Amino acid sequence: MTDVTQIIPQAPYAFGFTEDHELARKEARRYLNEHVTREHVRAQYEDPRGFDKELYRQTLELGWLGLSVPEQYGGAGLDALHLLLLWEELGRALYPSPLFASALAVEALLRGRHEAQRGQYLPEILSGNVIATFAYAEPGGAWGSDQVSCRAEPKEGSWVLSGTKVNVPFAASAGLLIAPAIDHKGELGLFLLELPAAGIELTPEVSVDPTRRSARVELDRVKVPHGARIQGDGRAIFQRVCSLGYALLAAEMVGAAEATMLMTRDYANDRQQFGRAIGSFQAVKHPIVNAMVQIELARSLVLGAASAMSSTEAIDRPEIAEHATRMAKAFAEEALSFTVQRGVQLHGGFGFTWDCDVQLYFKRMLWTRATLGDSTEHRQALAKVLFG
Amino acid sequence: MSGHEEGEPKELAEFRAEVKAWIAANKPAKPAFKLPLSFLEVESKEQFDYLREWQRKVYDAGYLGYDVPKEYGGQGVDRARFRVVGQELARSRAPFMVNLIALQWAGPTIMTYGTEEQKKAYLQGILSAEEIWCQGFSEPGSGSDLASLQTRAVKVDGGYRVTGHKVWTTLAHFAKYMILMARTDPAASKYSGISYFLFPMETEGVDIQPLVKLSGEGGFNQIVFDDAFMPESALLGEEGQGWNIAMTTLMFERGANEGVGRERAAGFVERINTLTEVAKRQKRGGKPVSEDPVFRDRIVRAWIEAQAMALAAARSEAPQLNADRPLALPLMNKLVMSEWAQHVAELGCEMLGPEGALWVGDDHAPDGGDWPRAFMNSFGMTIGGGTSEILRNIIGERVLGLPKSK
Repeated sequence: MTDVTQIIPQAPYAFGFTEDHELARKEARRYLNEHVTREHVRAQYEDPRGFDKELYRQTLELGWLGLSVPEQYGGAGLDALHLLLLWEELGRALYPSPLFASALAVEALLRGRHEAQRGQYLPEILSGNVIATFAYAEPGGAWGSDQVSCRAEPKEGSWVLSGTKVNVPFAASAGLLIAPAIDHKGELGLFLLELPAAGIELTPEVSVDPTRRSARVELDRVKVPHGARIQGDGRAIFQRVCSLGYALLAAEMVGAAEATMLMTRDYANDRQQFGRAIGSFQAVKHPIVNAMVQIELARSLVLGAASAMSSTEAIDRPEIAEHATRMAKAFAEEALSFTVQRGVQLHGGFGFTWDCDVQLYFKRMLWTRATLGDSTEHRQALAKVLFG
Repeated sequence: MSGHEEGEPKELAEFRAEVKAWIAANKPAKPAFKLPLSFLEVESKEQFDYLREWQRKVYDAGYLGYDVPKEYGGQGVDRARFRVVGQELARSRAPFMVNLIALQWAGPTIMTYGTEEQKKAYLQGILSAEEIWCQGFSEPGSGSDLASLQTRAVKVDGGYRVTGHKVWTTLAHFAKYMILMARTDPAASKYSGISYFLFPMETEGVDIQPLVKLSGEGGFNQIVFDDAFMPESALLGEEGQGWNIAMTTLMFERGANEGVGRERAAGFVERINTLTEVAKRQKRGGKPVSEDPVFRDRIVRAWIEAQAMALAAARSEAPQLNADRPLALPLMNKLVMSEWAQHVAELGCEMLGPEGALWVGDDHAPDGGDWPRAFMNSFGMTIGGGTSEILRNIIGERVLGLPKSK
């Protein structure tokens, strides 16, 4: 019997945590505490763009987008652990920015086999001159690479794309959109579309989480040059982009859940009823403990995902990283969902108000659950690993 | 790729291969009689002898005792090898180590607090299963409120005399020694009047009465002490230090000692393989359970949780990964593992469909009725060693700094 349960490296040394990781995490936390306060987050709710462009540029100067991009393309070439520790901090702070959208686009470019495309786009994206995004979703509950219905037809040395993409993150701010589409041979290709362009119609969506803006994108016979198709196995590249996305979102959710749990803990310590702090009541204490336990397990899965992504085996067997990151996202979503719900409930009447910051995390949970597959979707995919 | 550990040093990988091969060659054949599912249910002499023989064999082969120095009968402390043996035993589905209370709780406590003489006297017998240990903490009136215990140890010439009543005492009927908490100073405060003893069971005034579990199995007992004598040398640590020593034992019991969490986790991951096999084999409505979307989902949930626990156990050995909250993982270990095991046992029962109505002894009972048996017995782990409710209080107060519950 193939032992499919042993997919994630589990030795302590497999995590590869070093002093450098610790310093980088501390520095990121310090920076975010200073610049991305809850007031800043709330201010972005009202902002037409949904993020502070200058701050975004600064965070790119800190190297946050290029953290695990090879140095030859202007990145820092660090491992996945560095990346996910940073994203946990981003989730804790709810940093409103197109970092996620661009990170997926960068991954697609890196996984392709076209040096010229990388050379052309990566420096622009990593410096913040161009915001890039990746159109992972389509109408009809389509999250995965096997559910793409956008079409790409060859015509006179060009590709002509038609179809609808939804939930495209920060599309309204983007100068580059990467869109998966099925070609005339039934193969999946990833196409680079520069924005704005004739035939591309953007309709901003009303996002449940205003720190994560998105748009519906209609492609109506959009013509792109032949070289705008990313070279390589489109389906495999799409999955690798998704796997990275699962990991980033899982790490973010752990940070978001941690922040919510601590907020709730502090409230339970301060709030007095019946002459004592409500945190002394087991009916209040135990749900907070349950949240912490879920968060620690989710964090363990995220760290496992990092080691799976960096493991040498994963180079030849990308499904190792796919499974590990799916697990992390599925579990972290449930941990965050539980934590924000208990967070609202245990803050009582105040928790039900706009003023209580738990709502910011509640919205992030709903957005993240709906992005790149919810926990049910991931468990269905993992069931195929166990049972075929 | 079972048992593979990426990045494992070559020397350790070789040792792992050697242990694995040895277990495969020496694992005892299934006996004709029913084996207990865990150390909590060892009932009959034939079960006990079979299990003791297996532990002795593992010890004689040189694989037990990588947490004990050579001068006390161990292999010399080598945490990495200790872990490897534990993992491979768990993965192999070989029988468990019958002297578990001694190996994992009493032994490490003696290593921490014992005198040179005590370490020399007890540790080797623990490893070889020559001397079996039980634990005398709980009393009929003192369960979750452990410090309210009433059993008395009165100082007499050359030792102490014990009078009182202990309960839920696993393996007492085979035990040579008991780790015993008793009150030596009734005038002192609740906590500081308690002492910790290594009590010899084969003495007058010790009445062992078997208790029957909800599954109908035995394996644990209540014990009435009536002026039972123990020598002075039975005292571990100082008089009045018993509460602190007992907390150390409970920490070990809850899986806080390095390596144990990962050993247990390896067993859980193995359990998912069993669950998967059962799902493929059992049928509902003529089709394998493994094709039922609801059951698939529930099994995958358990799988993800098993992976999370295994990773958490590995993480707890890398202190820098827990700098924000160092006590969280050690304290939550037992809570999550025991509740997971319970949950999985119930899931197994549900997968059996109509056959889930069959109990041990029925020829058609799947896996000999072990699923309902495991489910019932799983409550031993969510209640013993601190109930899940008490553990949540401890985590809330000690890890999160929430106010004490009254």
